[in-house]
Amino acid sequence: MIKGKIPGDATGIEVRKSVCTICDPTTQCGLDCYVKDGRIIKVEGSLENARSGGTLCSKGAATRQWVYSDERLRTPLKRVGPRGSGRMEPISWTEALDTITENLQRIKAETGPEGVVFYCGYPKQLRPFLLRLALQFGSPNYCTESSVCFTAMGMAWRLDYGQMAGPHMAQTKCAMVWSANPFHANTSFARRLMDARDRGVKFIVIDPRKSPIAGIADIHLQLRPGTDGALALAMANVIISEGLYDRDFVGQWTRGFDEYRALAAEYPLDRAEQITGVPAATIRDAALLYATTKPAAMMPSAAPVVHHTNGVQNQRAVAALVGLTGNYDVPGGNVAEGPSWLEIGGAGFVTREKEFELPRAWSDLPPRLGAERFPVWADMIDQGQGMDLPRQLRTGEPHPLRAFVGFGWNHRLWPDNLKLLEAMDKLDFICDVDIFRTDSTSYADIVLPACTSLERSEVRCYPEKYIIGTEPVIDPVGESRSDTDIIFGLANRLGLDDPLLNPSGAEPATAPGCGFLPNGAPDFSTQFDRVIDWIFEPNGMTMAQMKAHPGGMPVPNAVMPTFRKYEKNGFPTPSGKMEFASSLLEKHADRPGIDALPVYYEPENSPASTPDLAAEYPFVLNTGSRLPMFVHSRTFRLPWTRSLRREAAVDLNPGDAVSLGIAQGDRVELSSPTGSIQVAANLSELVQPGVAHMYHAYPEADVNTLIDGDYLDPVSGFPGFKGALCAVKKVSLDTEVAR
Amino acid sequence: MSHAFYLDVDRCTGCFACAVACMDQNDLEIGSEPTAWRQIFKVENGTGPDARLRYISLACMHCEDAPCIMACPTGAIAREPGTRVVKVTADLCIGCHSCSMACPFGVPRFGKDGVMQKCDLCSTRLEHGLEPACVRVCPTKALRQGDPNELSLDVERKAAERLAGGA
Repeated sequence: MIKGKIPGDATGIEVRKSVCTICDPTTQCGLDCYVKDGRIIKVEGSLENARSGGTLCSKGAATRQWVYSDERLRTPLKRVGPRGSGRMEPISWTEALDTITENLQRIKAETGPEGVVFYCGYPKQLRPFLLRLALQFGSPNYCTESSVCFTAMGMAWRLDYGQMAGPHMAQTKCAMVWSANPFHANTSFARRLMDARDRGVKFIVIDPRKSPIAGIADIHLQLRPGTDGALALAMANVIISEGLYDRDFVGQWTRGFDEYRALAAEYPLDRAEQITGVPAATIRDAALLYATTKPAAMMPSAAPVVHHTNGVQNQRAVAALVGLTGNYDVPGGNVAEGPSWLEIGGAGFVTREKEFELPRAWSDLPPRLGAERFPVWADMIDQGQGMDLPRQLRTGEPHPLRAFVGFGWNHRLWPDNLKLLEAMDKLDFICDVDIFRTDSTSYADIVLPACTSLERSEVRCYPEKYIIGTEPVIDPVGESRSDTDIIFGLANRLGLDDPLLNPSGAEPATAPGCGFLPNGAPDFSTQFDRVIDWIFEPNGMTMAQMKAHPGGMPVPNAVMPTFRKYEKNGFPTPSGKMEFASSLLEKHADRPGIDALPVYYEPENSPASTPDLAAEYPFVLNTGSRLPMFVHSRTFRLPWTRSLRREAAVDLNPGDAVSLGIAQGDRVELSSPTGSIQVAANLSELVQPGVAHMYHAYPEADVNTLIDGDYLDPVSGFPGFKGALCAVKKVSLDTEVAR
Repeated sequence: MSHAFYLDVDRCTGCFACAVACMDQNDLEIGSEPTAWRQIFKVENGTGPDARLRYISLACMHCEDAPCIMACPTGAIAREPGTRVVKVTADLCIGCHSCSMACPFGVPRFGKDGVMQKCDLCSTRLEHGLEPACVRVCPTKALRQGDPNELSLDVERKAAERLAGGA
């Protein structure tokens, strides 16, 4: 029974409930942790979780190796060798917090608080807390990994409709999946997609790859990366010219339709085929199926469409199809539901999250990162655009940056990140908080150990009107603490005047659960619960109530979705209408690459836009498409997940490989004018000819070093990760020896 | 009652969750060799636009007339009476690899100790009313386990729905 890990008194194995936060988009599968003698010996999915229903993905199933990795940080560290050397010594929490506090206070006194950058990678729960800390400290320079993920997609929908509207899968008859890969990236939703297929829902899949969801599609449009805008406009042209659009909706509720119609007319099918590589007849079939099957839902994805130099406009053109066909805010179409908590919308309640994270107005502070360079971003997004960090570090404009406080910072998120590191070396002080020792922590002067979500409380909600607030499943590993403990601790050490982040004011915090442990480590678990209660006050849910339901609970008094809300309230856009022509973009249309209409521009570097460059670098480089066993770099270090794809490898089309003399497993070089890496070749029909798919963030072969740091979408600042150029060649043994 | 795995090939997406859940349940140490008890394959047919990619998850089939049992010279492989699961007794295995030659599915694996290891269908879990770890974890419910006739009946029911055009 012990060997079979059967829970119960006989074995002393207890099942404790938590959620997985290894990936951090909308998933958060419920976790049953099998605990014996204070150690997790196995995990499985919680059956009662309304979204994941007992399932996990390969990453979540490897939780045990995540929690007990040898690479866990166990104590605070200070750097004793040069930055990047990784030479670190353990220090006490007291010394670590003293050093951080002294540095931040000194910089604040000398040149102002805006010289400190606060940054957050994964996980997301700490974000409202960190933003509040930054603003209360006085710095507008808060940015996150959302500088390269999701935000630009949200911007596109907001520019069109004033808000996001998600696919209403339960009642749809047709699902248009636009470059999403839920079978590998959001597995908690996978069985419902399969069920939808089984009940006869039509699937249109737009994806440069033959990803698993393309395998269940009625129509798969395998477009050249970055041509989404041209494809969407061509589909719009079919829908409009064949009279299949929703005339009532368009006539009454949209702005700029005539100009949009004229723009779409520039993309007849033959031209669209030439640009996108998708056969004209297939484009037409897809447009007709989407426009005539009612209702039809569009499933977008966080990054693929917007990881292009014309990303936001491409995504706007895609999203516009929803309104054009009358599928906006109708059952089975795309339904707008308000934000609930941590970027999850439609969980059936509202919170004071915005009020909590924005205690001060941006206008009362100096300009935040990227505000001048990406004014549309600054108009819409309550963060800095972190892609502008290298520039501001180098130039000191509009103000010099002197310190960096990172939580889960991974420098490989930036294109051409060697230049970022070079620029960061100018900083007086770098502090990084992480679960693991990483390449990025080796650049920090002080490193603090964070615990995983299984060692602390986590509050998560789901569109199924379900919420969970967890208790720690095990004690923190080593001296690690929760991210929020660290933020509360810093707020106290910095003496911030803020009753929520620092209830002790100018006094040292000493209360249990709202103070420091004997070893100097922060423990603010009670204060965390109080702040959650404050944030959730509008719905009345409390941490105590949530903890009484360890596997989660239905949201009390959940607000159920309503439809066609615009008929009563208009659209939350400047014109009150859906905007084919965006009022906000119109304001900035004097800038290159910014237009009111969702104009299509080729990727800045592509076989069509830069034929000379493409002669030397003939492959479209598409980076970061999800592999099932990895989420960014987070599970590289786990032997179980790593065993499923051992080597850094580029996916190539077998036909391309033959013409380059490359066989499966051969060593190949990927190069661009910016950099080069060597990886193994993995040949698959998953990939279309002419495209090289390379997963990102491998320390030994970081493909983002091939992408220029200024290869950015002018609207969002997002990098063109999925539409650059590269050369691929076999590495001969001689070359390898010479290196 | 006998137990079997069933894989709905139309639902398998090659996500690898089953492989890792198996590693976690069985404390598998995976080094540089492919010693996992459950393996997932991407099978590609055709080229270009017509290419078809399918995913298959495989582990021991617990065959009724298991060739590995016949091939094993020491009786290390045997059928468990209650669950009818094909199991290995490590102490009896001499690491001769006869089972590898006999098995039509390439299931036997050999760890650092040279002894054969493979899926035991989580038989202890089955005895306690729990599904095998790989079945429990499967995000699309492609992987199932149960009485072979019951599993077939489920497939037949789905086929009937298809024939009726209602699904």
